[in-house]
Amino acid sequence: MIWASIDRLGRTITDNFDYTLKVFLMVYLSVRATLRDQAQGLRTIFSVISAQIYFTGFQALPLISVLALASGGIVILQSSTNLNLFGGAQMIGNLLVVIIVRELGPLMTALVVIARSGTAVASEVGNMRANREIEALESMGINPLSYIVFPRLVGGVISVVCLAFYYIVIALIGGFFLTKLIQDLPLSFYLDSLANAVAFEDLWLFLLKNTFSGMIIFVVSCHQGLSVKRSPTEVPIATTQAVVNSIIYVVVFNMAVTSLFYLSQLIKLGVL
Amino acid sequence: MKIQSLKFENLQFGFEGQDPLFEQVDFSFPMNDIVWVKASSGAGRSSLLQLLAGLLNPLKGNYLINDQNVAEMSFEEFLPYRLAIGYGFDFGGVIHNRTLLENVSLPLAYHKICSPEEAQERAEHYFEILGASKVKDKRPSLVPGGMRKLTCLIRALIMEPQVLLLDDPSVGIGQETSLKYFDCIQELRKAGKAQHVFVSSFDEQLMNCLPHREIFLDCGQIYLDVIDGDKKVVSL
Repeated sequence: MIWASIDRLGRTITDNFDYTLKVFLMVYLSVRATLRDQAQGLRTIFSVISAQIYFTGFQALPLISVLALASGGIVILQSSTNLNLFGGAQMIGNLLVVIIVRELGPLMTALVVIARSGTAVASEVGNMRANREIEALESMGINPLSYIVFPRLVGGVISVVCLAFYYIVIALIGGFFLTKLIQDLPLSFYLDSLANAVAFEDLWLFLLKNTFSGMIIFVVSCHQGLSVKRSPTEVPIATTQAVVNSIIYVVVFNMAVTSLFYLSQLIKLGVL
Repeated sequence: MKIQSLKFENLQFGFEGQDPLFEQVDFSFPMNDIVWVKASSGAGRSSLLQLLAGLLNPLKGNYLINDQNVAEMSFEEFLPYRLAIGYGFDFGGVIHNRTLLENVSLPLAYHKICSPEEAQERAEHYFEILGASKVKDKRPSLVPGGMRKLTCLIRALIMEPQVLLLDDPSVGIGQETSLKYFDCIQELRKAGKAQHVFVSSFDEQLMNCLPHREIFLDCGQIYLDVIDGDKKVVSL
């Protein structure tokens, strides 16, 4: 009984490890295929990249705006109220950078992109597989990794980075004006507090988290789509799996980066 | 890159969870002919053509083009051969976000074989001959299945390949269009293109209109032309 459980656990771990390797291998192969593809012009790549940015980035702006305003407003309202109670109102900038810039921004954006575009890409590629379009591309000498995967990956990463930046700006600025309706918080004080709190490391953290989140979402979605064999009934299964896997990978990645970041901060401060 | 020989060497192939379709096959495919691939349904005719097109990989053994093992080639190394092989799908295979005309001219435009205008002209020529000009600017979802099939068949011809692999070409497009299509192939053959044609079909009427050789698939093996008494042959 115990051994069987240990076996099952071991199998789950090796399966997940194998899946992770396959996903990262796909990133490498798609980049390699694009660099080695003599025929595919920049025009073809850019047309797909721009379409991907339009669908993933531009069309997600209304949803991101609503989420950013709501979550930004709530966080600012809660922080300023509680900090005032404890007499630490000047710390509001630090708290907002930690919550919105470092954590909520990348995570909320990734979740929105998974829900809107990860599913779309997985089902699109899955249907292409089921309709033998991928096979057709191969038979024409067009590598699906450079023609389908790479432009979606690049377009997806650019979209996620831009959307996360937009989310943070709307959450911090829009959220402030939303809070202003309920509570009186001076703008100059608020902006000063934010400016003092933002550090150079936040830029690296922002780029690292969002670039990799974007990459994870689109490579996992493409991988799941391409895993469809022949039947259209496999497409919804692949799409669901793409969502589940993307969420797990993005959350674990964000958690790991945050942990490492705070570990490095503690080392810097000499605590560890 | 001139294709001179297509060989299976101790080849084994099958789909996961199913009986193997080919078992230890050693076979040298006849060249410079129209070859009719005959077999009972489910014996692996489509898989054979997909193996020849490099769209499927053998589980064991080798598929050799000009004595080079296809499984050991990268996508880029196989590309010159791929461009010399035209493949007509039995179903599916049209790109849904492009019009039928764009579907056909895609390989020419992508590989910059000719100018986009010339690619379009070449594609339009075939659509006109085969009576599909009216629908050429429509997306695949807006046309009947037969037109989608015809688009795939035209696309197989458009690169004027050396090897032409056609999977059930006459199904869904009608006898008259099938004959016109094979007239196009004969025209190409006269011009020194499409020298090696492999057709998988149940359409005896069509195949009897063409000078051809036959290969038979049976019990995981491939047999050429008339078979001696010891070997089993499927009756069609």
